[in-house]
Amino acid sequence: MAVQGDAMEAAGPYDRAKALSAFKFGDKAFYWITRSSALAVLLILGGIIMSLVVGAWPAMKEFGFSFLWTQRWAPANDPPVLGALGPIYGTMVTSIIAMAIAIPVGIGIAIFLTELCPQWLRRPIGIAVELLAGIPSIIYGMWGFFVLGPFLANTFQPFMIGIFEGVPVLGAIFAGPPSYLSLFNAALILAIMVLPFITAISVDVFKTVPPVLKEAAYGVGCTTWEVVRNVVIPYTRVGVIGGVMLALGRALGETMAVTFIIGNSFRISSSIFAPGTTISAAIASEFAESDGLHQSGLILLGLLLFVLTFMVLTVARLMLMRLEQKAGK
Amino acid sequence: MSELHMSVDAARGKMPPPMPHSEAPPKITVRGLNFYYGQNHALKNVNLVLAANRVTAFIGPSGCGKSTLLRVFNRMYDLYPGQRAEGQLLLDKTNILDPKLDLNLLRARIGMVFQKPTPFPMTIYENIAFGIRLYEKISKSEMDGRVEAALRGGALWNEVKDKLNASGLSLSGGQQQRLCIARTVAVRPEVILFDEPCSALDPISTAKIEELIHELKEQYTIAIVTHNMQQAARVSDSTAFMYLGELIEFDETDKIFTSPTDRRTQDYITGRFG
Repeated sequence: MAVQGDAMEAAGPYDRAKALSAFKFGDKAFYWITRSSALAVLLILGGIIMSLVVGAWPAMKEFGFSFLWTQRWAPANDPPVLGALGPIYGTMVTSIIAMAIAIPVGIGIAIFLTELCPQWLRRPIGIAVELLAGIPSIIYGMWGFFVLGPFLANTFQPFMIGIFEGVPVLGAIFAGPPSYLSLFNAALILAIMVLPFITAISVDVFKTVPPVLKEAAYGVGCTTWEVVRNVVIPYTRVGVIGGVMLALGRALGETMAVTFIIGNSFRISSSIFAPGTTISAAIASEFAESDGLHQSGLILLGLLLFVLTFMVLTVARLMLMRLEQKAGK
Repeated sequence: MSELHMSVDAARGKMPPPMPHSEAPPKITVRGLNFYYGQNHALKNVNLVLAANRVTAFIGPSGCGKSTLLRVFNRMYDLYPGQRAEGQLLLDKTNILDPKLDLNLLRARIGMVFQKPTPFPMTIYENIAFGIRLYEKISKSEMDGRVEAALRGGALWNEVKDKLNASGLSLSGGQQQRLCIARTVAVRPEVILFDEPCSALDPISTAKIEELIHELKEQYTIAIVTHNMQQAARVSDSTAFMYLGELIEFDETDKIFTSPTDRRTQDYITGRFG
């Protein structure tokens, strides 16, 4: 205390207002730096939307809404005929199949890691899942092209085609011939790619469940499954859905790996073993050698992907709100 | 020396463990119970009997093992690796420590209420119905009746009957704790363990819960861990004083609080340590 007092006296008459104003300046600067960073996000987002709309304008004017339901994609025609139905269909189908595989498996891994796994196995599996997230997508693409594609085409696909042959609806979905490049292969790669997102986020949120809440559930006689089903997942559903949405966002927009193995065909086939394309794969494979209306059409595809992702996020929000209402909040 | 011999004899089952209310049948019998958290010897040769339809209070300074003892009764420690119990522990004639015992059934027979209220993330109605549904398939109208009965049993019905579909988390702390008691009662257990049920509550909620415990002992055997000695004196029939993992003294509550035999018990209840 004495030392402090001496130091203050040595500094001459103590000007409290001046010292405070120095702090005030720091505070103000901090406020503006953080504020402008936050505003920059809005500006960047707005700028991207603007430039997409400007770039896509010629195509929008030319094709109008028919762009959405035209399947034909003939940029070399004169005049070019462009329709987004094929890529939109491919994007939705691959993402839906990918999520149908990745959500149960990913959450299953998370449940195993947090509730059931013996301690010594926890770290190896956890690290492996994290490494899976770190593999560059081009490597997934090559692996899918050289290893997974041939494997599926020689084993899984003929098996499924054989089982469902002649069955209505399912027979059309699992129709031959087997192919190295197909919607299903792309979806499977996507599922592997988004799995770590779902698992990592689910593990993190599962760990936030208070142990005493789980004990209470075990205390009324629940089995592990009942505790997970009725306490852990309801308690963490917002976080889990957040992880799923992040994964879905990646699945919708993933480009490189999908471009490698989807076959880049704009024709829509009822079979998931047939080649197809997605919005991002179409853009990636054609953008370099496009110009004029063709390029504008590709930019319009990009804008559609943007809208699609936005709609998915909105639906997710609505779903969360309804869940909360159901839980009685 | 003779004390040690006595406890060893009790561990071998030669001598009945202490039981103040000998007119009531024994519900839980503990003989020579030892408990370990890894290397840490947390309960040392504990012998006692919880009498049926009586309230037994456990008091003692923090870390004396009273909560641990409660968690052995319903095998809650099983959830965590490295924790183990040795000795004999009987619920009526059932060996609680039997590794092959169905834990879900055991925990349905021995309910537990925790220090902090732990409503499940669902509606008030579902919080109660959830536990019942685990064991019984009953119709909607029957379930409504059971939920109402449980909430009445938890002295909560009048406060929540108009908002059964609100989240259990929307209630106040005291109400949440009574919801947890109602939830425990709904499963129709035989024994209810209270682990410091009032330590996070205001005096009015505490009074309500103590009153509730008083009513519950008509039907259930109750064990309560508490740091509040007045509470132990108010609600319990017999009191166990524990210190450093040992059961120091176990007798009728009146006797413990008026003329304890052990020096350490006397020091603790008069506030000289702990």
